[in-house]
Order: sequence, then C-alpha cells, then structure tokens
Amino acid sequence: MLPAAGEPAAGDSWGMLACLCAVLWHLPAVPALNRTGDPGPGPSIQKTYDLTRYLEHQLRSLAGTYLNYLGPPFNEPDFNPPRLGAETLPRATVNLEVWRSLNDRLRLTQNYEAYSHLLCYLRGLNRQAATAELRRSLAHFCTSLQGLLGSIAGVMAALGYPLPQPLPGTEPTWTPGPAHSDFLQKMDDFWLLKELQTWLWRSAKDFNRLKKKMQPPAAAVTLHLEAHGF
Amino acid sequence: MALFAVFQTTFLLALLPLRTYKSEVLSEPLPLTPESLKVSVNSTRQRLHLQWTVHSLAYHQELKMVFQIQISRFKTSNVIWVENYRTTVKRNRVLHWSWESKLPLECAAHFIRMRSMVDDARIPKPGFWSNWSSWEEADAQNSLGHDPLFVFPKDKLVEEGSNVTICYVSRIHQDNISCYLEGVQIYGERLDRSVSAFELKNVSFIRKKGTNVFCKVDQGGALGGIVLFVSKVLEEPKDFSCETQDLKTLTCTWDPGSDTGLSKQPSQSYTLFESFSGKKTLCKHRNWCNWQVAQDSQETYNFTLVAENYLRKRSVSILFNLTQRVHPMTPYNLFPKNVRATNATMTWKVHSIGNNSTLLCRLELLAEGKVIQQHNVSIKVNGEYLLSELEPDTEYVARVRCAYTNHFWKWSELISQKFNTAEAAPSEAPDVWRNMKMVSGHPTVSLFWKPLSKVHANGKILFYNVIVENLDKPSRLEVLSIPAPARSTELTLDQCSYQIHVTAHNNVGPSPASVIVISGDPGNEEVESGRVNGTEDGFSVSWKPQSGDATGYVVEWCDGPQDLPCVLQWKNLGPNTTSTVISSGAFRPGVRYNFRIYEISAKRMAHLLEKKAGYLEELAPSDNPQVVMSNLTSHSFTLSWKDYSTESQPGFIQGYHVYLKPKAGEQCPPAFEKTVLPEDSVCCKHTIDNPEQKTFVVENLQPESIYEFFVTPYTSVGEGPLDAFTKITTPDEYSHILIRIILPMIFCVLIVMIICYLKRQWLKEKCYPDIPDPYKSSVLSLIKSKENPHLTIMNVNDCVPDAIEVINKPEGSKIQFLGTRKSLTETEFTKPACIYLLPTEKNYSGPGPCICFENFTYNQAASDFASCGHFPVTPQAPPHQLGPLTSPENLLKALEQNYMNSLGEIPAGEANLNYVSQLASPTSGDKDSLPTNPPEPALCSEYKMQMAIPLGLASAPPSENSSLSSATLLGQGEHYR
Repeated sequence: MLPAAGEPAAGDSWGMLACLCAVLWHLPAVPALNRTGDPGPGPSIQKTYDLTRYLEHQLRSLAGTYLNYLGPPFNEPDFNPPRLGAETLPRATVNLEVWRSLNDRLRLTQNYEAYSHLLCYLRGLNRQAATAELRRSLAHFCTSLQGLLGSIAGVMAALGYPLPQPLPGTEPTWTPGPAHSDFLQKMDDFWLLKELQTWLWRSAKDFNRLKKKMQPPAAAVTLHLEAHGF
Repeated sequence: MALFAVFQTTFLLALLPLRTYKSEVLSEPLPLTPESLKVSVNSTRQRLHLQWTVHSLAYHQELKMVFQIQISRFKTSNVIWVENYRTTVKRNRVLHWSWESKLPLECAAHFIRMRSMVDDARIPKPGFWSNWSSWEEADAQNSLGHDPLFVFPKDKLVEEGSNVTICYVSRIHQDNISCYLEGVQIYGERLDRSVSAFELKNVSFIRKKGTNVFCKVDQGGALGGIVLFVSKVLEEPKDFSCETQDLKTLTCTWDPGSDTGLSKQPSQSYTLFESFSGKKTLCKHRNWCNWQVAQDSQETYNFTLVAENYLRKRSVSILFNLTQRVHPMTPYNLFPKNVRATNATMTWKVHSIGNNSTLLCRLELLAEGKVIQQHNVSIKVNGEYLLSELEPDTEYVARVRCAYTNHFWKWSELISQKFNTAEAAPSEAPDVWRNMKMVSGHPTVSLFWKPLSKVHANGKILFYNVIVENLDKPSRLEVLSIPAPARSTELTLDQCSYQIHVTAHNNVGPSPASVIVISGDPGNEEVESGRVNGTEDGFSVSWKPQSGDATGYVVEWCDGPQDLPCVLQWKNLGPNTTSTVISSGAFRPGVRYNFRIYEISAKRMAHLLEKKAGYLEELAPSDNPQVVMSNLTSHSFTLSWKDYSTESQPGFIQGYHVYLKPKAGEQCPPAFEKTVLPEDSVCCKHTIDNPEQKTFVVENLQPESIYEFFVTPYTSVGEGPLDAFTKITTPDEYSHILIRIILPMIFCVLIVMIICYLKRQWLKEKCYPDIPDPYKSSVLSLIKSKENPHLTIMNVNDCVPDAIEVINKPEGSKIQFLGTRKSLTETEFTKPACIYLLPTEKNYSGPGPCICFENFTYNQAASDFASCGHFPVTPQAPPHQLGPLTSPENLLKALEQNYMNSLGEIPAGEANLNYVSQLASPTSGDKDSLPTNPPEPALCSEYKMQMAIPLGLASAPPSENSSLSSATLLGQGEHYR
C-alpha cells in the first residue's frame, strides 16, 4: 500500500500521491471501517425475539392466576373446550404449508395485527377484573404487550415494510354483547389467553426464523479494496 | 246512597237469572270468561306473565272474581300448577298474574289456561265456573340458537342458601351428557328426551366471578355452561349512629357486614334518609356518611339507613336530638406553664361549638402510667388549671378531653403532654451503716449508705458529704465530699470516738444529716450465736433487747455466699422492735447467711447484740469430706476428716454417716447397723451425731479382710452424695511375728550362699570331687550281681602296676576332648600333668602308688613331676555323664558314645595317652579291636574306670601299646608299684 523505500523517480512520486489519495477517498466506503452506519434490523429482531420469550414466561404466570379467578373448569389443565364464541379473536393456528408460504412482510403484518387486537381485548379483561392484584398483573402484561407491538413496528420499519393501517370502524372493541352469557364470556377470556399463548409461541418462531435469515454470513466481513489505476 | 245500593242489587239480581237462562238455553260461553289471555316469558326472572281481560262486565261494574289458572309442562295434559287468583274485576281492565317457575322456562314448553267464577258476596249464588280458556303456550326454546347443548338458567343471581334448579336442553338427543358443578359431576332427573334437570340445594358463595356449571357431550365435544352468581345475604347495618362535632355536620357510621358484591352485582349501596326533612343522600362509603345540618335549626332527626342490592333491601333507623349527639373535637395546644417543684399550670384550647357553648373538660394527671389527679374544668375556648401537690423532680403526663356541657354524649379524643417538676433539696437523711476493722493497727471504718429513693432524693444526687468530728478531743472537722454514684467510703481513725455526719446533696441543697458515732475500739464483742430459720418470705430474725435506752436496732448481713466478698446489707429498725423479717432477692437456698444484730444507743453508738446464722432453705451436703485412714491394724483403723468445714456447707451439718462394707457374709461390727444403700447393696452404717467429731475408729474387724468405707455428712435434709467407697485390707494377725523370724533366716541363707560361692572350690573338693571313690559307686553292685559275684573293688595297694606307658609326643598339641572341648582349649597347660592316684580306701596310709600319666589337659612339654598334685581320681567324662553311669546300661551307652565321639574327632595317631584301665577285660585291652567291639569300655584317650580285677581274670594279654606304656611308667619312677 505505501510507497516502497528507495529513490523513486519524479514521475513515480506523483503516481504514488495519486494512489494514496484514491485510497483515502475510498476508505469511508469500506463497510468494515464504517462504525457509524446503520446496524440493520438484526438487533431489533433479536430484541423482539427476546421480548416475545419474556412475554411467554410472563403469560404463564398471569394465565394461571386469571384462570383460577375464573374457576373450574377453566383452570383445569386438561380443559380443552370447543371454541364457542370468541370468533373475533385472531387465530394463531395456521396450516403449516400456508405459514411457510407467507413472506416476512405478511408474517410481520399478521403478528402486528394480532397483537393489536389481543391487546385491546386484554385491556377489556383488565377493566373487568375484580381484584386489584389481578388488575395490576394484567396492566403490567398490557404494557409489555404494547412494548412488543412497538418492537414489531420497529422491525417492520427497519425492513422497510409499512405498518398495517386499521380500517376505519373496524377498531376492535371489548363489548360483550347482551346475548353473551357470563359463561361464554369466561370462555372468551380463556380463549384470549390461549390465543395469546399460541401467538407468542408462533411469534418466537417467526422472529427466530427472521433473525437467522437476517444474520450476515460469518466470513462476509472482508476488506475488499479496488485499487483502480494500479 | 242506600237507595242507590238497593237499585243496583235489584238490577243485578234481575240480570243474573237472565244470563243464566241464556247460557242454559243457548249453550253460549259465560259472558265473564277471561278473554285475550296473553302469556309472556321473563327468562331472567324465570317468570310467566299472564294478562287478560273480562269484557263481559257491565259498564262501571266491579265484581270480585276468582280465576283458576292451570299450568302444564311439555304437554297440556301434564298439569303442574293450579292456582285460584282472586281479584276485583272491572270492565276492560287488564288483569295480570305472574308465576315463577322453578325449572328454567327455556328447558320446557309451558301451557296455560284459566277459567273464572264470580266470587262476590253481593251475588247470592254465583258458584259455577266459566269455561276454560284455550291453552296458551309459552315456549322460550324458540329463541334458542342452533347450538347443540344449552344449559339454563343463564347467569342467575341468587342468595346464599337458595335452592336452584338447572337444566340442559340437548339438540342431539344423546345420553352421554354429563354436567359439572365447579368441576364436580352432578346428577339430575331426566324430564324429557332432550331435557334433564339438576337441583342444587343450599348453594353457597364461592367467588365473585360466579359458580360455573357446565354440561358436555362426553365424546362429541359439544359444551354448554352457565355461571350461577351466588351472593352473600345482605345484612342489616349494625351499630348505626350519628353524631356531630360542630353542630354543622352530622356523621353517621355503621358496620356494613359482609360485602355482597359480585361481578354480576355491585356491592350493596347505602342510602341515608331523613324522615322529617324528607331528604336523602346516597352514601359514598360503605360504613359512614355525612349529613349537612340544615340552617333552619332542626333539632330532631329521624334517620333511616337503607342497604340495598339486587336481591334484598335492609334498613335501620334512629331518632335523636342533635344537641344530644355532640362529640367535641380533640382539644389542642395543651402545655404546662410555670412548672415548679410541687405545682404546675396546664393550659389548652378547644374548638368552639356553636355560639357560647361551654365544654366540660377533664384534666388528668398521670404518674408512672397511673392517674393520680383528676379535675373537671368548664371552658369556652381556653382552658387553664393549676396542678398542685406534685412531687419534685418527677415526670408527669397531663391529658385533657372535653365533652359538650349541655348534654353529655361522648368525651372527645385525648390530648396528652409530658412535663417534669423542678428539683427540691433531698427530704430525708441517707441510711448509713458502718463496718469496723483494724488495718495495720488503726481502726478503719467503712461507711456505707443507701442511695436515697426517688421520693426522697427530689432530684439528682450529685455528691455526699461526710463530716468526721472527734468527740474525745477538740479538733478541726474533717469534711469529705464523695461524688454521687459512690455508696461507701473508708476512714482511718485513731482510738478516739468520732461522730460522723453524712448528707446527700442535689442541685438545690443538702439532705438532713445521718449521724453515727464510732468508738475507737472495734470491740470484737463475743456474743452468743444462734440459728435463724429461713422461710419463703425471708429470715425471721428476733432478738432480746439488752438496755432500755436503745434508740434503734440494726440487722447486718452479707448478701452473697461466705466464699464471696461481702456485699454488706443492713436494715434499720425502731427502738421498740425486737424482730424483723429480712428478705432479699439475693438470698439463695443452700447458702449460709450470718446476721448480726446491733443495738444503737442514745449516743448513736452501735453494740453487737446477737449473731444468727441460717439458711433460706437447707440442702443436703453437696460434697463429702476427704477422709484420711490411719492406724490400720488387723482389727481396727482410724478415719479422720479434720479439714472438713461445717460452716460452708449448704445446711447445718448435724453429723456424719460412716458406711462400712465388710466382706461377704460377715456381720457388721458393733456400733454399726445394717442398712441398704440406694443401689440396693447392703452395708453397715454408723451415725455420728456430733458435727465436730471428725475422727472415728472402726474396730472389731477381722484380720486379713477387705473392708470398704465411706464417710458422708448429713443435714436436716439428707446426707451427702454417695461417693465411691475406699477399700482397705486388714493385715494378718501374726505377720509381725513372721517378719521377725523370716527376715533373719533369709539373711542367714544369704550369708551361707555367699560363703558357699566364695568357697566353691573347696566345697567341690569336699563334696563332689572329680574322681569319685569307687567304693561308693553303684556300678560295683551292678557288676557283682550280674557278671561276677566275686568281683571286688581293686585296692590300689593290692594292685601292682606293671607298667604305665606314656607316649611322649614331641609336638605339643591340643587334644580335643568331646564334651569338655571348650574347657580344654581354654585351659592350656605348659607342663605335663603328673597325677598321683590316691587310694580312696580308709585304711590307706602313706604314699600310695602314683600313676603318672599325661592328662589330656596337660601339655606334654610340661611334664614336670614337680607339678604333680594329688587329685582324686575322677572320670574325665563330661559332667552330664556322671550321674547316669550308675546304671549299667547308661554306663555302657555313655562309654560307647565317648568312644564314637573320639573316633570321629580324634585322629588315631594323635592320641598320645593310652591308658589301659585295669577294669578292661582281656579282650577289650586290645586297642585295635576297639572298632569291632564298641561296647567294650576300651578308650583310647580317656581315663578308664579303675577297678580291681582278681588276678585270675586280670591276665590280659599284653599288647604292644600296653607294654610300651608300662615300660615308660617304670622308667619314670619307682614310687609307683
């Protein structure tokens, strides 16, 4: 890179100087040396993944408390009722083939929309909770879920995907209809928690997949200089 | 009016027969038949509502009628309810009736019909029913959706303890439907092909979120459920009362009881209603409510508190006069003012109530948590009171509460304030006592005083002044100032009498002086000592007064045990006292306390009156004396324990028990009695009842016997611990005599042994010479008996030696002789030995024949005759062969052995001495034949037993060797014959 020692000719000196200038000119373009550049979506995907796992853990404890609050059979471990009511809840279960056929943007969009809805229902749950302790736990979980939504939005923005816009008038609201019996309402609560659990599990998988996809290959960082003119 | 009534009745009576007639003739329904029957269902309340009219009535006509209502379930023929409903009917008036179904209405279709009858007293014979109306169906099932399974009633709210019927409707008509109450299966009654009902009795509250009941098809997956909300029963508010603090606002409070709130039902609400003013207010809190007093000076109030939830209402009322419910606010700004040693002024303020109202305030003074003064003060706003009779330097708490004067209802809350009164001079002289002793020849007085009690100190005692005044000679007063925590001082005085004044000082001044007079002579008066008994309360000490002019008495003692430094305690008593109880928390059982009683004379001098010792509680001795055993004889020994101190024991020692264990089977010695020890062993016991007798002689014992003894003291409580017995053995009765005899004997034997040892050579010669006397040999008798009865001992005198051959070997050599090899090699003689064979017969006299031969032990070169000595002839056999030679077999064996050994170890040519025994038989004399005749006692090198052989027999053929020997012997000396 540097001029060799010795006594070069006068014409050579100018050539060397031009070479040095060219190198200096190209230095900021070398990715490995550019420390102030955008790190990409990798860290935010990782962060989102971590948050998902944390929420999974948090939900485990919250669901236990809430289902006990509902009473049997909802707190029984083998209770697996048909999905009565709760039609408006976004379903996390999807055919594997369909899921595989989704692209990153669709997956992220589905995640974002699902958590937006779930968060809304969850807030309704919080309003109905009779005990202060349960209300605290639910509020804490809602805050965490709000954080996850923001995190997904961040990932989508980093990847250049637009956020899904809610259609006017389709804002989900937690309004149990008058025909909705208390038992069905409890079923809805049960399914809300179950769907949340499934969504979190699915999101963890989605973000793990995305994380691996976005990870640059290990040997990709090489210093490649094109020394034109030599 | 009466006229009108008559007309009406006439009209009705005229009308009714007409109608009856019409109905009978025309068979038409009665005109009073219920019409327009409509049935509606209220699912929430599970009620059927019926409404109908009776059109047939005349205008403005009112009749009392009875309507019989029939209700059927599932089908019209299944009548489940019949009820007669009586009411007054008007023309075109809609009538209502409702019925609550136990079974949820959704689970079954219901059919209703009714008929009517006039039931009016104004009509004389009205008693027949109308026709039934047509059946009306009430079917709530039509409104159900398409789900396969429904459970009813939905979200029912009931009170605790109710009975609830639950049913399910299945559209799939399956039998395998099970229902669960809170996860526990319940069993019900099948009402229809698709309907089953379950009766839940006495339901209880489980959670606010309701009790879950659900049914499911076992394998189909269909599921339906309800939530049954069980509310707690609303209680009547308890302890409802209202009061005012300022006559402006009334505060009503109550105990609400349990909360009946569920997620289906809010908590019960409380409404306060005042009947006089007709006002009401909805209370925001569960247990209290404020009511603004009206400005129109309403005095009496009648409040009703109504508690209400969805299921029930409860109310409670009170009636009161406002001025009788005044509860003043807590007074404030309570402070002490002008606090002195014995008085202080307290000031405080109260919130005014209305205009010119007075309050009764109660001021209380507390000392150490107890109320000691109580004063009532009537005030308007400012209160003030002078508290007197206070103790100096004392902490007090003043507290105030007030009540409405016009009508006492309640005291206000208390307000408290702490304060301390000022100090005053100590009010009492310190209690002083002294202890006198001589130190280095000078009387030394230790002065002790007790700290003044708080009541008398009146402040913090700073120091004590001790003033010493010489009473015998005028001198300057000596003043000592001792800082306060000190409780004693020491004064060294001379032989004079002194008067000592002690005063305690605090910030304000000195206390009165305590005076004590001390004589220069310590005067260790000897007084009688007594005992004092301790009780639970202490020691009850009494004494006899000596002189009549005593001004008081002092009892002195030490609080601790004797072995600890004395913490001097004393108690001052009045002049007329002759007894007291000394109690102290420091007294312990088993510790000896010594009390000294002094009499205080008019001159303030103390004289020792009595000494007492006692135990709070006597204990058994904790240890036993160290017993020394002495003077042991065969019949007695002495025990002594002189070092044992009876003073420092946990009880008064009353004596000692001496235990003695004799050998088995032996009787107890006299003065001992048999007793059984705690470990069930029997032994002898002797009791010494004098605690000062510390020696004991155990007598009448058996000699050479083992005895075990043990000494323990005893008090009134018991004896000391059972220690190990000490074992002794009484000596033999004659042992001393034996010692006197045996010792000299042993000595003599020793002397003899020493002498024998020193003279062992001489003894040997005398007692067992090397060459024995043949006459004494047993061989002789042996030979005599077996071989030759004529065999006799050869007398040397009878034997004429022919010749003794001495082979002179030129070179000196050591001759190994078996058995004595060592001695031979060790002893090397330089001269040949010349041995005279001495006759052993008694009649031998004069020089006998001398056989000079070369002994094996002699060096041939030293064959000096001059060195010849007389030796008793003894076989040169090994010592161990000497004894057994007495028997012929042994003899022969020994000889053979010698021979064989010689063959083995002595070269044939080396044997330089061939001495032929005179005993040798003619055949055995030949040396050459030796190997072939080993039993023959023919030796090549040894001395042979010399025997006298009769001449006839001794004609041994001369051998070469023997002739040579003889020649040599002859040539050497004639004194051998």
